[in-house]
Amino acid sequence: MSDLQKKRGTASFSLYALSFVLLWEWLRPVQQLTETGHIGTFLGFVFMSLSLSFLGVWSVLASLAKMIYILYSIAKIHYQGQVFNLSWLGLFLEDAQANLGAVWNGQWAEMSNPFRTLLFFILIWLVTYLIDYWLLNRKRILLFFLMTVVFITVIDTFTAYKGDAAILRVVVAGFAILGLLAFYRLAEKERLPSGHLHARKWIIPLVVMIAGSTLIAWTAPKANPIWPDPVPFIQSMNDGSGTEQGGTAKRVGYGSNDSSLGGPFVGDDSLVFTAEVEERHYWKVETKDVYTGKGWVSTKGEHPSHLEFSGETPPPIMSFYGNQDEVLRSTVHNEVDYAHIQYPHGVRKIVTDEFYLYRLNRQTGKITSLKDFEPEAPASYTVEYEKPAFRVKDLQDSSVEDDDEYAHSIHNTYTQLPEDLPPAIRELALEVTDGLETWYEKAQAVEKYFRNNGFVYDQVDVAIPEEDEDYVAQFLFETKRGYCDNFSTSMAVMLRTLDIPARWVKGYTDGEYVETLESGTRVYEVTNNNAHSWVEVYFPEVGWVPFEPTQGFSNNVVFQTEENSEVPADTEETEEAAAPVPLQPEREELEPEAASAAGSQDGWRKSAKSFLANNWKTFFGMIVLLAGAAALAYWKRGKWLPFYYILLFKLRKKDEHFPAAYLALLAQLERYGLRRRPGQTLREYAWEVDQFFSSREMRRLTDCYEQFLYRGTLAEGTWQKSREAWEYMIKKAG
Amino acid sequence: MSNRTNPAIEQILQNIEKVMTGKKEVAQLSLVALLSGGHVLLEDVPGVGKTMMVRALAKSVSAEFRRIQFTPDLLPSDVTGVSIYNPKEMEFQFRPGPIIGNIILADEINRTSPKTQSALLEGMEEHSVTVDGVTYKLDKPFFVMATQNPIEYEGTYPLPEAQLDRFLLKMKMGYPGIDDEMEVLRRAQKTAPIEELEPVVSIAELRQLMEEVKHVFVDESITRYIVDLAARTRDHASVYLGVSPRGSIALMKASQAYAFMEGRDYVLPDDVQYLAPYVFCHRIILKSEARFEGISTEEVVDRVLARVPVPVQRLVK
Repeated sequence: MSDLQKKRGTASFSLYALSFVLLWEWLRPVQQLTETGHIGTFLGFVFMSLSLSFLGVWSVLASLAKMIYILYSIAKIHYQGQVFNLSWLGLFLEDAQANLGAVWNGQWAEMSNPFRTLLFFILIWLVTYLIDYWLLNRKRILLFFLMTVVFITVIDTFTAYKGDAAILRVVVAGFAILGLLAFYRLAEKERLPSGHLHARKWIIPLVVMIAGSTLIAWTAPKANPIWPDPVPFIQSMNDGSGTEQGGTAKRVGYGSNDSSLGGPFVGDDSLVFTAEVEERHYWKVETKDVYTGKGWVSTKGEHPSHLEFSGETPPPIMSFYGNQDEVLRSTVHNEVDYAHIQYPHGVRKIVTDEFYLYRLNRQTGKITSLKDFEPEAPASYTVEYEKPAFRVKDLQDSSVEDDDEYAHSIHNTYTQLPEDLPPAIRELALEVTDGLETWYEKAQAVEKYFRNNGFVYDQVDVAIPEEDEDYVAQFLFETKRGYCDNFSTSMAVMLRTLDIPARWVKGYTDGEYVETLESGTRVYEVTNNNAHSWVEVYFPEVGWVPFEPTQGFSNNVVFQTEENSEVPADTEETEEAAAPVPLQPEREELEPEAASAAGSQDGWRKSAKSFLANNWKTFFGMIVLLAGAAALAYWKRGKWLPFYYILLFKLRKKDEHFPAAYLALLAQLERYGLRRRPGQTLREYAWEVDQFFSSREMRRLTDCYEQFLYRGTLAEGTWQKSREAWEYMIKKAG
Repeated sequence: MSNRTNPAIEQILQNIEKVMTGKKEVAQLSLVALLSGGHVLLEDVPGVGKTMMVRALAKSVSAEFRRIQFTPDLLPSDVTGVSIYNPKEMEFQFRPGPIIGNIILADEINRTSPKTQSALLEGMEEHSVTVDGVTYKLDKPFFVMATQNPIEYEGTYPLPEAQLDRFLLKMKMGYPGIDDEMEVLRRAQKTAPIEELEPVVSIAELRQLMEEVKHVFVDESITRYIVDLAARTRDHASVYLGVSPRGSIALMKASQAYAFMEGRDYVLPDDVQYLAPYVFCHRIILKSEARFEGISTEEVVDRVLARVPVPVQRLVK
């Protein structure tokens, strides 16, 4: 097709080498800023891909080679290098299948490392393919070059990555590629004979100019930036309420002081423990009962009452009255010496190899492991627990009986609220639960309230309440932006304003999926990033029931309807099924009559309105997506329209379709870039087009069309005769 | 369809080519005018072969050739003819002037007085001459090829704008190229070839051809295109007076003749575009400021041609 493709000369080699440099710049920050290891392997893949296309290896062969490389690398990185013992392949496929399921369900965090590696390889493959396409076919790389520059500058501005040297390398390599490609484009356009002479005439000044300008740029004194650093500006733009003190970003993780919540935190992915579980579940550490208006503390004044117990006996924790005999086991391998035990809700037994004594704080539910009466964490332990599953009917029937002393005391403790709690919180809670009878329904309504209504999950731009401000009120009414602490605290406080006993639970989520062992148990890694908080609500005769108000989290608690079908608690679509009375999340917006008269137009309109109000983001996203797709299709129509036309006109055999076909061809040629000036006659244009493609077909077609247009006749069989010429032309213009 | 021209036309052109080298375009355009019943104004210096070409043309179509040399003292009656009293017959007898012929070369038309000019121009337009109250019909075909010196020359009476309009085409002959001029010289050493020229078609056949030209199909999109072109000259910024409807008609007729000569029975926009400068340029009067800026009517017509979109789709009625 072109010199570039046929000849694998020095210039073409340097193009590929420079592209390699550009791609390398993309991988460097990845290594520094993320946990991705084995960058060398990926770089090798880039190198191999570019070499293969440089050498012009037959594409099937090249793809085969790349696939082998990918599989080999995955085996080497993730399966202890058992490359030739192909048993890993089965594991990998199984893993990939599980991952595809996870991706399908949108559980991105569930993806395992081998699968991520595979995806990363595929991404690199795509990018190298694109580069190859840009270099060979389009002879344009500006877009990629610009993207690289933007990438480096953004990364440099917003992360710890230092892009000084990178930007230099990128600019030099990028301009060199641009210059070379410009030469090739010119040479092709002007039909220069290929030879070293012309190339040298171009390349030497190019090298001199790039070297010169780089040198000048390097040595020239640099002015201080005229604009202030944009990062604080961008943060303050989104600020709203008091992140001025946002400099005190917290490091996420488990801490025991929760008396003043709020503010951003930075991620910390240091490993806390790994868990082998039969079913995934949250890990509890402790609960708090007193809300101060700024955060949570444990009941003050009294000495905490401790209970000590050994691993042989069930922990004396009141969690819930189970109705299942099924006992599940999870094993924890501690990586950090926190002397407390992380346990699932419903723990029955803690098993260790060595003897440990456990001390339970009855207020907080925190279990400390003791060895020789000193706090010390066991290296690993197994917890047996009953899977939290609740009958919806039990929950709905639950009520505080007069003679239930225990329930009363729980009720008293866990409905505490600060005296100066803004009344607006209670008003909101009443509004959200308006018309609902049971605690269960109310709890669900409040839990659901955070799904929509403008709440956003965010770890960075999270406000700290002012001196005289309530943490929950600020989140509910001002910022609506926060992470688990905001959501869980708000739910607990809202329930308490409704006189429903609720407590705040701290612990960890189920963590990052690593692999599945042969026994079927799955291995998760729990890091400081997985520290989490949620809510438990007390139902008399049932016990403490976990709820998960935080957006994007799921606690895997099962609610059973009367039909005894198991429903996980937190998936959107099943929740409605779980409640025997379908809950209207927007009940507060509906007039009672309107709700009952669902068929009436008013009601329909209102429910449509509320549906829109709830799902506007989805709608908006879909519209944007569709519009984007449409715009892309329109923009790229020159690429696919010829095929559409060919198909379309294949079906049209009559002569009268010829003019339409000819006009379609004209439009396509225009899109191709052969513009017809308004005063140019078809004949002149056809001559020009034929000149361009070294063809004669356009003139033949134009003769026929001229007869049709200016004479008003269409000879019989015109379309039949000219179809081939037409297809030829429209393919050329594709 | 190809550029195969009409066989009779091809022969006529070849005939002219025998005596005139390198002037095929002028010959072709003259033939366009002849076939569409129009007249030609040649603006050029003497001695470039105008007479030779017209004579060759006349001879090829077996037409009667007349020549009028216009001088400042020429009278209208010298053109149209006079009635002379014949004492023998006791009555006035009409002695036809040179205008009574088929193909007339009116040489240096701008050297004579406007009165004499108008005598010729009336004949061109009306196809008749009136002498002493008697109107004499002119024979068909009637084709005038007038020449004029470039108007900057001294002692000239420029043709009034209204009268320029009467010419279908205005063109320049120009000097021949070096090779062509050498060929001219070579031929001039022998006897003048014009004497040996044989007629190709008879007058009757020529009339037949002229009739056929009228039947060349002009699609509505083409007439629309011509009208658009003319209209665009009228509101062009540099133009004081644009092309009249007579100009549009002239362009259409000329296009028909040209298409016929090209062996087509329908008109293409290409025909229109090819002829537009010859038909339009002398019908446009530029504003004086445009003239001072050095804009020529040719440039205006070129610009109009580039701007007005060529019809490439059926008109939606």
